Amino acid sequence: MTLRAPGFPEARVRERARSGTGAVFPAQEEYGNTLFGAGPTVADTGDDLEHLRLVPPVFVPYRLEKLLELAREPTHADVGLDTDIGGLRSTLPVYVSAFGSTAAAADTDLGTAVSRQAGRLGIPMVVGENIVPVNGYRPTVRRGDSLLRRIRAYADAAPAGTGGVVVQQSTEDADTEVWNLAYSDPSVQPLIDSGRLAFELKVGQGAKPGLGGMTMIGRGEAERLAGQYTVVDLPGADGVLRCGTPGTFTEEILRQQVRLMRNNFPRARTWVKLPPGRDVGLAAATAWRAGADAVTVDGAAGGTGWAPRAFLDHVGLPLGECLRRIEPYPNCLLVSSQMWEGVRAVKCLALGARAVGLGRAALLAVDEAPETGLANLVDCLALEMRLLISALGKYRADQLGDEDLWSCAEDRSSAGLPRADREPVAY
Amino acid sequence: MTDLPHSPREHLRRPETRAALAIQNQILVATREYLAERDFTELLPPVIGPVTDPGSRGAKQVDIDYYGHRYKLMTSVILYKQAALLTFDKIFYIAPNIRLEPPETFSTHRHLTEFHQIDVEIAGASRDDAMAVAEGITRHAVRRVVDRAGAELAALGRSPDAFFDLVAAPFDRVAHATAVADLHGFGVPQSPDAELNWEAEKQLSRKASRPFFVTDYPKGSRGFYDREDPTIPGRLRNFDLLAPEGFGELASGGEREFEYPRLVARMRETGENPAKYAWYLDMARHGIPGSAGFGLGAERLTRYIAGLDSIWQATAYPKLPGVVSP
Repeated sequence: MTLRAPGFPEARVRERARSGTGAVFPAQEEYGNTLFGAGPTVADTGDDLEHLRLVPPVFVPYRLEKLLELAREPTHADVGLDTDIGGLRSTLPVYVSAFGSTAAAADTDLGTAVSRQAGRLGIPMVVGENIVPVNGYRPTVRRGDSLLRRIRAYADAAPAGTGGVVVQQSTEDADTEVWNLAYSDPSVQPLIDSGRLAFELKVGQGAKPGLGGMTMIGRGEAERLAGQYTVVDLPGADGVLRCGTPGTFTEEILRQQVRLMRNNFPRARTWVKLPPGRDVGLAAATAWRAGADAVTVDGAAGGTGWAPRAFLDHVGLPLGECLRRIEPYPNCLLVSSQMWEGVRAVKCLALGARAVGLGRAALLAVDEAPETGLANLVDCLALEMRLLISALGKYRADQLGDEDLWSCAEDRSSAGLPRADREPVAY
Repeated sequence: MTDLPHSPREHLRRPETRAALAIQNQILVATREYLAERDFTELLPPVIGPVTDPGSRGAKQVDIDYYGHRYKLMTSVILYKQAALLTFDKIFYIAPNIRLEPPETFSTHRHLTEFHQIDVEIAGASRDDAMAVAEGITRHAVRRVVDRAGAELAALGRSPDAFFDLVAAPFDRVAHATAVADLHGFGVPQSPDAELNWEAEKQLSRKASRPFFVTDYPKGSRGFYDREDPTIPGRLRNFDLLAPEGFGELASGGEREFEYPRLVARMRETGENPAKYAWYLDMARHGIPGSAGFGLGAERLTRYIAGLDSIWQATAYPKLPGVVSP
């Protein structure tokens, strides 16, 4: 099966997966005979991140700092991108987002191929919530990507001390005790012992905030899962729709669930994934105060899964607005939604995120090139990030701030979005 | 530290095993004697159910296929204990439990994956009532072992003098928050929002000369059934009983949540899906008595009284975390 991703710059992701960093620039045959710079080449998605521009300054004190350190003029190659992502060391401010039992990821070996490449890159990888209930825990001949197969593929490829696997669980998965399974499995112990296992509480997701997970499954499968999920027969469809519940959360429920995760799994890191809800700021603060190592926010344009069209087009906050509603906090903020290239990633880092998650892009890249697609795509992303961050006169991602952004919509500055004339504090 | 036996035959033929199991027998006789004298009814424990105690730290439940339905082996009989109070006011089980503990617990020397609990529940009781029974059983068991199994204690090198302080005074009580402050004073890290970690528990236990209670654990450290203090939100009306000399936790207990809306709210706070507790919640909707109780580890109590290095020495068929054994 070849994956498709309507509404997503699929062709460009595939090109990067195929060609690597050459695809960061226009085609070589255009060099010397085409004039560039007339305007944006990316379609407007309506997301307010699109209305921001990265604005390099003339005066660059961080570059001076770097010049002193290196005793030569710094270049983009001197930008350090390694960071801590929710308690896991990462070579880049990038991780692979969850894609669960969605047929695109589960019925093939794509998930395992992504795991292998993410491991090799030394970037953390989240494994989706419903993999265990739908695909199983241990590898079997019948099923494709079980949880354990993905974890093993990752761990075998990862360099010592970097990256990590993040196992997601939602309300229904509590029945399957996904976290307990992983935490008590002897074959997962090397990841635990090296501090590279995290658990992510899935409070919601980008593509369908307010709903639980949804996947189309075969009728035989439906019978097996009927006791655990609501299964809906869609007229005209080959399979049936498996619907998870969104789970009931209040501030107290979220606070206590985070505390219980830390209590029950003291050697695993604690992550919380939030949907792009209108109270995302309060929810993020609640999770952090309860001790979450990372909060992941999935903008309304995120998600790899099956969702009703109404939700895809009209429900949930765009990522930029989510970031605006989250007050700065020392703990790690992670974001995903439409990530594949450096500009959007650097804008998110400047707005307070520690790292960005690749979801659809990772799947497409591996679909295009099972052995090198994700690595090529991530190389492009890293190169772009280095170019952009160095252009902003900075040499570490955590030096970015909202002074690096300018909103082209005038009324946005009064709504709290960054302004280019704001004085940087850190200098 | 005594080495793990190579085979069941080697383990069962060791004189130390025989002495430990003889002591355990006296402990179980003493327990039944103590509880029977106080009008407790012993019930036979359930072994499987659609759901079991989710409150064990990091451990995995064992699933079985029950005519096509996923059932669980009991990790503890807590839910059934509450149900049993519809029949009798004071009940106990000596119940087998299975918990696939994380392999890291192997090194605590007090975790088995298959073990037994003296599981007591009392309708209409307070936490103090339950603590008094837990203390009473422990004292009575020590007394009976010293009286009737002196030779076995001697064979294991355990002096009855170890229990001098236990006999001399009531068990001490310390609130979790105070224990955390004490630990910080000793330079031992411990979250105020979590269960005592293994190192913290060991340190507290080593500093004691008789068993003691730790009370008032924070919500977020225990299962949904430990009752939240109605006057102090976030604090539980519960306790652990810890043995001295580094032997660590013997028992956990407390007052129970029993009102339907509280149970549902607490289930969500502990990440549980209320749908899988249908039989229990249906029963709670129709009313179950408020109660208090505890589970006292039979092998742990044996290990403490017999002075054994490791918990596996207190069982005929040791099953240890992460170790595949018969």
